[in-house]
Amino acid sequence: MVRRVLALPAGRLAVGILSVIVLLAILGPTLAPHDPLGTSALTLAGPSWEHWLGTDYLGRDVFSRLLAGSRTSVLGSVEVALIALVVGVVPGILSVYFGQVFEWFTLRIADTLIALPFLIYAVAVTALLGNGIPQAMFTVGVLVSPLFYRVARASTLAVARSQYVEAALISGASIGWIARRHVWGKVLPPVAVALAQTIGIGFVVVSSLSFLGIGVQPPAPTWGGLLASDLGYLSYQPWAPAVPALLIMATVWGSNLLADAIRDVSGEAGRALLNSRRVRARRLDPAEPIPAGGVAP
Amino acid sequence: MTRTRSDGTATATVPAARPADPPAGQPPAVPSPAVPSPAVPSPAVAPTTADPQSAAAPPAAQAPALTVRGVRIRDEVNDREIVHGVSFELRPGRAVGIVGESGSGKTLTCRAILGILPAHFAVSAGSIEIAGRDIAGLTTPQWTDLRGSTISAVFQDPASYLNPSLKVGVQIAEVIQVKSGLRRRAARRRALELLTAVHLRDPELVYDQYTFELSGGMLQRVLIATAIAADPQVLIADEATTALDVTVQAEILDLLADLRERNGLALVVVSHDLAVVAQVCDEVLVMREGEVVEHGPTADVLYHPRHEYTRLLIAEHEQYGLDRYLADSDSTTDPDPDPDPEADPHAGIGPVAGEQRKELDDVR
Amino acid sequence: MSADGRPVLQVADLEVHYGLRRRRRRVLHGVSLSVARGETVGVIGETGSGKSTFARAVLGLVRASGGRILIDGEDVSRYSARQWRALRRRGVVQYVFQDPLRSLDPDLPIEESLIEPLLVQGVGRKEAVERGRAYLARVRLDSELFGRLPGELSGGQRQRVAVARVLVTEPALIILDEPVSALDSANRVGILEILKELRDAGVALIFISHDLGSVAGVADRIAVLYQGEFVEVGDARAVISNPRHPYARLLVGSAPTLRSAAASRAERDALRALLHA
Ligand SMILES: Nc1ncnc2c1ncn2[C@@H]1O[C@H](COP(=O)(O)OP(=O)(O)OP(=O)(O)O)[C@@H](O)[C@H]1O
Ligand SMILES: Nc1ncnc2c1ncn2[C@@H]1O[C@H](COP(=O)(O)OP(=O)(O)OP(=O)(O)O)[C@@H](O)[C@H]1O
Ligand SMILES: [Mg+2]
Ligand SMILES: [Mg+2]
Repeated sequence: MVRRVLALPAGRLAVGILSVIVLLAILGPTLAPHDPLGTSALTLAGPSWEHWLGTDYLGRDVFSRLLAGSRTSVLGSVEVALIALVVGVVPGILSVYFGQVFEWFTLRIADTLIALPFLIYAVAVTALLGNGIPQAMFTVGVLVSPLFYRVARASTLAVARSQYVEAALISGASIGWIARRHVWGKVLPPVAVALAQTIGIGFVVVSSLSFLGIGVQPPAPTWGGLLASDLGYLSYQPWAPAVPALLIMATVWGSNLLADAIRDVSGEAGRALLNSRRVRARRLDPAEPIPAGGVAP
Repeated sequence: MTRTRSDGTATATVPAARPADPPAGQPPAVPSPAVPSPAVPSPAVAPTTADPQSAAAPPAAQAPALTVRGVRIRDEVNDREIVHGVSFELRPGRAVGIVGESGSGKTLTCRAILGILPAHFAVSAGSIEIAGRDIAGLTTPQWTDLRGSTISAVFQDPASYLNPSLKVGVQIAEVIQVKSGLRRRAARRRALELLTAVHLRDPELVYDQYTFELSGGMLQRVLIATAIAADPQVLIADEATTALDVTVQAEILDLLADLRERNGLALVVVSHDLAVVAQVCDEVLVMREGEVVEHGPTADVLYHPRHEYTRLLIAEHEQYGLDRYLADSDSTTDPDPDPDPEADPHAGIGPVAGEQRKELDDVR
Repeated sequence: MSADGRPVLQVADLEVHYGLRRRRRRVLHGVSLSVARGETVGVIGETGSGKSTFARAVLGLVRASGGRILIDGEDVSRYSARQWRALRRRGVVQYVFQDPLRSLDPDLPIEESLIEPLLVQGVGRKEAVERGRAYLARVRLDSELFGRLPGELSGGQRQRVAVARVLVTEPALIILDEPVSALDSANRVGILEILKELRDAGVALIFISHDLGSVAGVADRIAVLYQGEFVEVGDARAVISNPRHPYARLLVGSAPTLRSAAASRAERDALRALLHA
């Protein structure tokens, strides 16, 4: 699977982008040239040799804040995705196998979560569990879990009741064999797509929670928080929001590309891709387009 | 005839409300409530409306419902042509049959007519007109408009045309809501009527079942019900009765015959069962490897076949034909296919001798 | 025909229910049948009468709520999942599903689906591919189709793949659920001839079909299933040419043949009245 994903230009691009982001998350805080919290008199300065991306409304170095905030941001959104995965995917799969009562309850809970007003819920959870990043992640993760529940349930339903699984059973295949050969390839792609979306949602939501004083506390930098504060000074530095926005978009784009690549390398979808290529190749004749995959490491 | 609602115990097979039925409370199952059929004729008196056989009907009403002219279908992935020219014309109330080798392109032809060829398959030549409209330039919304209400289809693999995670009844009702503009409750009622019309034993139960809970024949009937839900003018039945027992099949064929007589439904029947084609169709196309090898009135093609392949097809059909076993009811020990010469006015279809079959085999 | 030896399959008083609580319904009841080596039993009957359910019960895909099932002399009715797997891995019994499209993994090339039973049994990949191809050729499938996905085949081609997949393991008992319904008459004859060869080689077959002609041509005995019960079991030719139970008569009477129309509506209604009397 990994090799086939890397064989796709989009797959290489995705892996490239995501590696850079991960590197940022690991090394970012140590690389920051200035104290990300240190204010100065030089507010809202433009880019200079000293401050590559200028300073914000309190005179803090934007570049340092971006680097320092990358770990919190990336970890935060990954945490959101993981919690959603656990809270959503596991019951989603089990709802297919565990009798009707479990199915009924989980379905109703999922419906309720979808209908819940987000802010009220977030405030209530903070009141209950206390304020902090893990709690905020938990809140958001639980809130997006119905998506995972639905996705996992739908794809498992389709596979579990399928006759090709029964056919494999009749031939004496073990559960492990069936999972590897028939289930894995069908549940993974939709879950991966949902995961990629959630990572994007994670960035934005975590920072919007900061407005309410939930989760990340104001001075601590995050990409989403930077974006939000930059937006407030749009008239002074119209270009400023572009940088954090770009980082967020790159991450989301990278995850989506990876999810699509995972979907595209297997089974029917993979065949469709192959077929389109062959048809295109025939139309264009010898000149195969050079893929824009130069970013790959 | 009384309508019996079976409650799971061994009771009546629900006979569809025939138009001949006295209107006992409920309207007849088949005609849409949207189309009030004045003085519904009984099948026996049907010729008053339109008898497809005596084609003396006013020529104005006889514009073809479906015209297929020299359609060729190309597989662009492997760069080869799969169907090499199919032509036929179908008038309202008539039925054309397509028979032939497995893999000869029958299903692809049907899909081309509906504009749902698989990706990278394309009609490379010829034209298709549905109710006088050339389908070549149709936009997606126009197609959506056309499918279901003007032309609809029942395909070979019923399960793949239904959503496995929705109740089948809900899916039929949805089609009705969209196509006939009925409200939810009315759509449900109509869906139940349709399920009754296709002779499902317990429509209420089936309405609430999922595809995996239905037998092959039940699924197929659910699809037939969906296909006729919006009173189409043309129905494509691609192996639509293969999963049905012959009794239910006969009933479904009767239902379609009723629709042909009453609503002028035109049928395209794809089937491997030559007996069904012989019974239903006015005209037959025989396909082999993408080629139409023979085309003509049913009686001519099936009883006086010209092309060697048609002869082979019929001979092989006869080899396991029911006639053999019904004929020798008193001499059960001797399965010799010796059909009663008097019962066989068509010398052309006598069983092919071994020698001759060899020859035919070489043709393949 | 060699209908001798000990039975491969013995089913006694089988009862099967579907659904839970309020929706629980009995689908099969009091079904008994035994099939010997080298014997072919045809099962015909109403749609929805429980033919596929019977097959699924024998294969352990649905749990019987009553009765006994003996495969090769072993009582499998109370088998655990592990025991079933051991039995299945020996390749004693195989099943051709009614719907070929659904019984093939849409994401696997047909060749992969075909060799799966062999791989599960521990046959090496190379040998498995070889054997798989031989059987695909035997059901007259072109070798250029081997790498296609099931969705890229015609209905009849898929059906032949499904049959070939079952043949590769050379089981002692095969249940075929409508194995020829999507085939033109020439290909149908091809498959039926294969079935006859298998039978002569001592394989026990249960042949479920709505095509009365095929069943009559291949089966030694025919069982007629109606509303979950075998209403008539007897010599194949006798059941077709001289059915006794009203449903069997209705069924045989409704079959159209190339030369004669089936019973008319009125005739069928009369037979049905008899059935409900
Ligand atoms: N999606 C597809 N991709 C590639 N080839 C296809 C696809 N669908 C059909 N074919 C090929 O096109 C040919 C015609 O297929 P089609 O389904 O029309 O046959 P058919 O006449 O309906 O046969 P059958 O009676 O077996 O259903 C077959 O050889 C088939 O393998
Ligand atoms: N998983 C299921 N859950 C509930 N009911 C089921 C299930 N599977 C089958 N049934 C019901 O059991 C009955 C018998 O179904 P079965 O598939 O055995 O019929 P069949 O004789 O094979 O019919 P056909 O000839 O149409 O294939 C049907 O009424 C069907 O609705
Ligand atoms: Mg077809
Ligand atoms: Mg069945």
